[in-house]
Amino acid sequence: MPPRIPVPRAPSPLHQLLPITAKRTIKSLLRPQTTRFNYSPNLPTLTSTPTGALARKEASDTLPHRTGALAIKRGMTALYDATSGRRTPCTVLQLDRVQVLAHKRRDRHGYWAVQVGAGSRQPKNVTRPMAGHFKAAGVSPKRWVAEFRVRDEGGLLKLGETISPRWFQEGQFVDARADCKGKGFAGGMKKHGWAGQPASHGQSLTHRTMGSAGGSQGSGSRVHPGKNMAGRMGGQRVTVQNLKVLKVDETNGIVVVNGSVSGPKGCVVRIQDALKKAWPEIPSPIAEASATTTA
Amino acid sequence: MATLRPTHRPLACWKSALRQARIQKHQQRALWGLSTPETSAAPDVPPPPPPVEEARPSSESPASVPPPLPIYIPSAKVAQFHLPGCRTTLPGVVKPAHEMKRMRFVVAPPNPKKTCPDPVKAVEDAQLQLLDPTGARRRLFDKSNIEAAKVGDILLVRFRPGSGQSDQFAGVCINIRRRGVDSAILLRGQLTRVGVEMWVKLFSPNVEGIEVVQRKEKRARRARLYYMRQPKHDAGSVENLVRQYQRRSQALGTGAKGRDGNSHRKKNNKKGRK
Repeated sequence: MPPRIPVPRAPSPLHQLLPITAKRTIKSLLRPQTTRFNYSPNLPTLTSTPTGALARKEASDTLPHRTGALAIKRGMTALYDATSGRRTPCTVLQLDRVQVLAHKRRDRHGYWAVQVGAGSRQPKNVTRPMAGHFKAAGVSPKRWVAEFRVRDEGGLLKLGETISPRWFQEGQFVDARADCKGKGFAGGMKKHGWAGQPASHGQSLTHRTMGSAGGSQGSGSRVHPGKNMAGRMGGQRVTVQNLKVLKVDETNGIVVVNGSVSGPKGCVVRIQDALKKAWPEIPSPIAEASATTTA
Repeated sequence: MATLRPTHRPLACWKSALRQARIQKHQQRALWGLSTPETSAAPDVPPPPPPVEEARPSSESPASVPPPLPIYIPSAKVAQFHLPGCRTTLPGVVKPAHEMKRMRFVVAPPNPKKTCPDPVKAVEDAQLQLLDPTGARRRLFDKSNIEAAKVGDILLVRFRPGSGQSDQFAGVCINIRRRGVDSAILLRGQLTRVGVEMWVKLFSPNVEGIEVVQRKEKRARRARLYYMRQPKHDAGSVENLVRQYQRRSQALGTGAKGRDGNSHRKKNNKKGRK
């Protein structure tokens, strides 16, 4: 609160008649201090808030306009261009009954997102809370559920709407994220690419060890936090950005993207419009047609 | 249940009462789900719409309900000891009132894994239709084809002009990597008296043709003939064989596959040794 400014009272006429006498009161030796808080009605609004962050994202147009899809990695092959003879390695993804389950709304949840489910699950294996969730969207029980953030309300699809391969256009770019293959407990040479020690020249039982874990007194005689060591390798989520969509097959549910995608065959891959490319211009008839034919 | 001590004998009447209640409970459990139609049809459950299936397979319809079995009906004296959840007014209600409603689920759409179990093959087949419309290249490396090229054969690959490669390359095929449209062969030949190996993608548009210059006399007993990299086994230059083959095919006026015997095989081998 800003300090209140005392309003001088209008002196009564009786006061004016009386002689002026000095007031004797307790007076502080300390001068009145200005507050250490910076308040003023003219200060700009703080932006280090979730609201500010969302506003910045909207202003910079960094959130995807459309939802993505859950796909299954089915394997790799290559495509040849008949005219140029160029070979392009590619990954074949298959969309398995991808449907919209729910929305995340700014007013209720703090952000805009589309919850999407894929695959199918036997009804007997569905918990009652999830069963109600699927029923609310009017879809069959799904095996995988994921959220895709979108910029605003315009990116929300109708509940139960199917996302088919035609959602992606040949030539557009997508980001693909999936859990990479886990390698288990791996040594430093495999995990971090260390060189190891020589095979001979007097080496005794140290060929693949990490060697030193750091300096001595100069670096505090301790192991610094974050020191690379042997341990669990792989199994983390990996995003591959800017993969070109090479082929789309609506009847077979296939989306072919350029290059490789992390993870084993059969893993779930999240694909969404690439963040670092221009947003694809999807003609509305296609989006509508894909929505109506598959809904 | 612990045996009753004599001091607790007055409580023995409880024992008989509880026994009766227990028997009754077991009987009711056996009849779980059996009920008269007017009690099982909950008034608030609407009839299921057509695309909706029952989650739990409905074990019985009202038509198939067998007549109620004779049930031990306890006396009114025992009825006060009934267990919670069990009703003693038989046979009207044998279900507890708190049973959950059956969930109804939407039928899943058709599974794309059923319609297209192998999407990679679907993509590859579509490519092969374009790249190898006649199927000749596929037949040349088909395992079921007796006439197919095998490892150990001397193959001549002609490249499309303007593809950034030399016109042709010949060598012993020491590896066939079968990966559908991405299949390739590894040829080992010589350029300027230096051993050279080259991977050739079978269905690349840059490959104009693959011809068999000379077949291996006996079938190779390995799938990968990497031992031919050793000087002892190196086939050496195949230049002369290729020249002979081309002269012969020109004379015949065909691009037919070479069928000549391996008459120069041993001599050639010696030449390759160092």
